[in-house]
Amino acid sequence: MSPMRHVTLVAIRDFRERITSRAFQVSTGLTLLLVAAFILLPSILGGDDGQTWTVGTVGSPPPQLKPAIELAAADPDTVVEISEFDDVAQIEQALRDREIDAGYTQGAIYSIGQDSPDELLALLIAVGGTLELADRAASLGLSQSEVDELLRQNLEVIELSDEPADSGAGDEGSTGNRTFAFFGVIFLFISIVTYGQWILIGVIEEKSSRVVEVVLGAVRPHHLLAGKVLGIGVLGLGQLIVVGLVALALIQQSSTFTLPSAAATAAIAVVVWFLLGFAFYATAYAATGSLVSRQEEAQNAAFPLTMVLMAGYFIASFSFTGDNPALRIASLVPATAPMTMPLRMAAGDAALWEIVLSFSLMVVVTWLLIRFAGRVYAGGLLRSAGRIKIRDAWRSAEG
Amino acid sequence: MLRLTELHKRYGDVLALDGCSFDVARGQLLGFLGPNGAGKTTAMRSVFSLVVPDSGSVTWDGAPIEPAIRLRFGYMPEQRGLYPRMKIKDQLTYFGRLHGLETADAASSAMQWLTHLGLEDRADSRLEELSHGNQQRVQLAAALVHEPDLLVLDEPFSGLDPLGVEAMAELLQERADAGTAVLFSSHQLDLVEDLCEDVIVINRGSIALSGPVAELRGASPHRYLDVDTVDGGTDWIGVIDGAEIVAREPHRIRLRVAADVDLRSVLDRAVNAGQIRQFSFGPPSLSEVFRAAVGQ
Repeated sequence: MSPMRHVTLVAIRDFRERITSRAFQVSTGLTLLLVAAFILLPSILGGDDGQTWTVGTVGSPPPQLKPAIELAAADPDTVVEISEFDDVAQIEQALRDREIDAGYTQGAIYSIGQDSPDELLALLIAVGGTLELADRAASLGLSQSEVDELLRQNLEVIELSDEPADSGAGDEGSTGNRTFAFFGVIFLFISIVTYGQWILIGVIEEKSSRVVEVVLGAVRPHHLLAGKVLGIGVLGLGQLIVVGLVALALIQQSSTFTLPSAAATAAIAVVVWFLLGFAFYATAYAATGSLVSRQEEAQNAAFPLTMVLMAGYFIASFSFTGDNPALRIASLVPATAPMTMPLRMAAGDAALWEIVLSFSLMVVVTWLLIRFAGRVYAGGLLRSAGRIKIRDAWRSAEG
Repeated sequence: MLRLTELHKRYGDVLALDGCSFDVARGQLLGFLGPNGAGKTTAMRSVFSLVVPDSGSVTWDGAPIEPAIRLRFGYMPEQRGLYPRMKIKDQLTYFGRLHGLETADAASSAMQWLTHLGLEDRADSRLEELSHGNQQRVQLAAALVHEPDLLVLDEPFSGLDPLGVEAMAELLQERADAGTAVLFSSHQLDLVEDLCEDVIVINRGSIALSGPVAELRGASPHRYLDVDTVDGGTDWIGVIDGAEIVAREPHRIRLRVAADVDLRSVLDRAVNAGQIRQFSFGPPSLSEVFRAAVGQ
């Protein structure tokens, strides 16, 4: 019988045991709900966000007033309502009763205390002043084209970003790509932690229920290790893809988010780095699990590993605004690369040689780790006296 | 045939195996005896490469045990354990497949063993839903589902009730009769004496005694003599060279004597002393032979 058959059998058993477990189903449902909530809520709640300004006028105001203010307001959802009154006294009364936010007549703008929005008053002055200017120009006998020429907006508005123009990172899509990749990294981090825990718990369960000795009567330890990592890895990747597809579908429905230009690159980077990161951490978690005998000891034993994982994640979070030396180094170091390299790749910050180097290092180190962890795992599994030292487990296993 | 040759294994300061050698033939039901810590489990694990000996060899039919050969072995470790949340039929099918059976064969063999062990109604129960005794049966079935050529069981009788012990004994005998090489360890010496023709005794990592139970008992330099007279007291016994009184009651005496004691003269004296109710002479039991061999 080929070793692959053992690996496959173990993988299928672990896959089936997890996918039929209530815990897995609930966690998948919750993840989908969270992702949906995150994407859909802003656009659902967004309808209530726009402000409404009520402006009192005497008789009907110039038709351009309402659309001009709505267009010029900082919040694009702003609505302006016009309340028409018979005379100025009624406007003053309405203002005192706080029924309107401001009043406008030809030649005057009315406000009340601190309650009239500053932005509205400023816009009324600007828009009202321009309308009045147009009126007067017309009454001086200028033609329409002369009026237009007089009022033409001459000032160009130049908006500066904080980044120097020549950094290359300030191009239009990079922030969107980085945001997209960053959510990928968060998801990747959560997935690796979650599925790493599954592996850890699975190994300890097999060890503490003693079934491992029966299994090892037929299966070589490194095949058992590989099967476990494969089975739970495929399950994790499946969940990653399902949640990812649901997220993409929702994003397309939603008006709040738009897919950035590098979405496909970012998605591929996240999937590839999930595979590498998962193989690396799952193997390490499995070896760690083989060294302890009880669930209660598991978190303590796995603490150093979780710390390394967290370090990569934090470097990625703090580097959200752009490339920096810490992120650059972390993206080359195998243990932290899965969390940091996708971010740099999506933002277009990583040079090709960096990607190739990081990828190669990760593959080589993961392969070495599998060899090393396989032996520690074999040595640790059948020893049930509390916490076992890595060195002792290594020694008691086959060379 | 399984052959362990000159196995040595040291764990730090502890010498677990110290030149352990023995054979188990096809069709043989071999009892493996020894005090706690003598090396039984280490020797059994070495058959499955769960322990890698420092030196020595383990062979099956004269060849080193390759992984493919090992799939034809069945193992029931001392520490029982299966997957608690897996249905027992799925569980046995899984172990059958790990040992190389195709899915359909593994499933039908699993059902056959569940039926044989009276668990056919529980095929879809999770292991954790079964009673302790039934879990033990499933454990045994997991070692048997692929019809192994060699069956190694570490303390198969521990934790079983008398009915369970009887069923297990029958099953082991049945497997041996069917041509399987069966090796099992036990502390229940009376049971082993009844069940096995052959035993080996391990002490401090090496085999202290091995052979057919009857020969081992007969080879002892001692015999036990039990005499019960109706009213003759026990003073008639007088002095017998090399004899040691094991128990003495008003009319009844048990002696440990040399195997070549002059039985005729003892019988004559007993006849003169009074009416004889019992006069028996025989080799020590297996447990006495065992205690002598391990120096207790």
